[in-house]
Amino acid sequence: MNSTPAIEVRDARVRLGDTDVLRGVSMAVPRGKLVALIGPNGSGKTTLLRCLLGLQHLDSGEVLLLGEPVGPAVLRRIGYVPQRLQIESSFALSVREFLSLRRRETRHWFWHRNSTTDSLLHQQLPELGIESLLNRPLAGLSGGQLQRVLIAYSLLGEPELLLLDEPTAGVDTPGEQDFHDLISRIHARLGITIVLVSHDLGMVFKQASWVYALNGVICCEGRPADVLNAESLKAAYGLHVTPYQHHHHRLAPGPGTASPITFKRR
Amino acid sequence: MPEFLAEPFMQRALLMVLALGPVCGLLGVFVTARRMSFFSDTVSHAALTGVAAGFLAGFEDPTVPVLAFCILVAVALLWLRERTRLLNDTLMAVLLSLSVALGVVLLSMQSNRRGELDRFLLGDVLSVSWTDVGLAAGSSLLIASVLLFFLNPLVLLTAHEDLAHVAGVRVRLMNYGFAILLTLAVSLSIRALGILLVTSLIVLPPAIARAFSPNLRRHLILSFAAGLVGSAGGVMLSYPFNLPTGPTVSLTMGALFCASVIAGHFQPRASSSSPRA
Repeated sequence: MNSTPAIEVRDARVRLGDTDVLRGVSMAVPRGKLVALIGPNGSGKTTLLRCLLGLQHLDSGEVLLLGEPVGPAVLRRIGYVPQRLQIESSFALSVREFLSLRRRETRHWFWHRNSTTDSLLHQQLPELGIESLLNRPLAGLSGGQLQRVLIAYSLLGEPELLLLDEPTAGVDTPGEQDFHDLISRIHARLGITIVLVSHDLGMVFKQASWVYALNGVICCEGRPADVLNAESLKAAYGLHVTPYQHHHHRLAPGPGTASPITFKRR
Repeated sequence: MPEFLAEPFMQRALLMVLALGPVCGLLGVFVTARRMSFFSDTVSHAALTGVAAGFLAGFEDPTVPVLAFCILVAVALLWLRERTRLLNDTLMAVLLSLSVALGVVLLSMQSNRRGELDRFLLGDVLSVSWTDVGLAAGSSLLIASVLLFFLNPLVLLTAHEDLAHVAGVRVRLMNYGFAILLTLAVSLSIRALGILLVTSLIVLPPAIARAFSPNLRRHLILSFAAGLVGSAGGVMLSYPFNLPTGPTVSLTMGALFCASVIAGHFQPRASSSSPRA
């Protein structure tokens, strides 16, 4: 197995306006891990993600994806699931057509019959569980359905690295559970590196094997049980938070965890 | 052969709108999905300055200065959008009002040209030459070919710019390229529908087609067809009733739109479609 980190960030610095958003971020994400990037609003999560995608220039420092500088060639080897797609209802793009854009075999979707496109996508479709959505317009999907379609779109590109930006934003509680299961299945089956950028600490605790807490710099990193404690979170969030049992969400405990957690201000 | 087709000016008018209407329909699908309707309006109003500047510079046919000034405004708009924090709407309103004001001032300097203003404001498709028709047909072919060639990147860009970037689409280049294609179609269509109405040729066909389009492929095909039927129908209807051609094209499309809204209301929801759309 390739020992080059899936993501390597060296002393990344970004200044936006008068604010130093990233103040020397360094991290190395090993291949094949499911990791999470957490931090409060304004901590630089989105900026760091944009740097990884080549959408934001660094003032200094370096970002390597799969051992290469960020560029079109390496971006083709990654999957990206944005937080949301704001599609106009006047845009009639169907799920089938959207997915067809991702595969070379289906790039002529406009000229193909749907059955031809389906047969070309068929190998991947059953596992993704979205066959029933193929005829639906993308603009008409619920948050959870759209999330599944976006993940399916990414996976159709056979990525070596999957970046998910706030994947449970806009997803209801049952949908969150489905989403957790889906991510676990994908990771177990494909063994690809998955990075969750998330506010959802319960999900992070359940899913991630390693957590990076960001607040301009990487404040702390480690296994969820080590990072998600009051001291580390105070360093990242700048306020005192303590784990507590959330009685309203009956999430199943993750492997090695006593209970799902979330955090409250004191 | 219908009587009106015996007239060469009607033949030219019909061919002109047949060349432009369907392609404007194709472009319109992306214009509406990308919320660029006001963009085409801004660009079309910029044509007024192109017309006035063209006359001032001694052009008898101001097509080239119109095209040049419209492209200048389109590029300025995109450039300002990237470099200022102003909203799109604000920038478009600024450029629209400035270019109209400049056009009127330039026209006021040429008292012998004031009569030309109506021709460009409301269109005069009956006066187009065979050269105009040829130019419109060639440009439409070019626009349609480029659209179909870059269909996938354009679709992805319309869905999500960052996703398009990750997929290797050169987002900035595509944005400028699409704006220039749209500007080309708008500036050529001004001869047919005029500065005030040209946006209807872009916006109405996709709006007519949307009610019957469960997917993008069908939306593109039906919008193309609506552009063709609406524009040709308008030209044909204007002859027997002796109506101004440009506004009749807009009204015909408007009637089709009303019919589509009513028909769409009685249709099953377009969101769940048949397997073979």
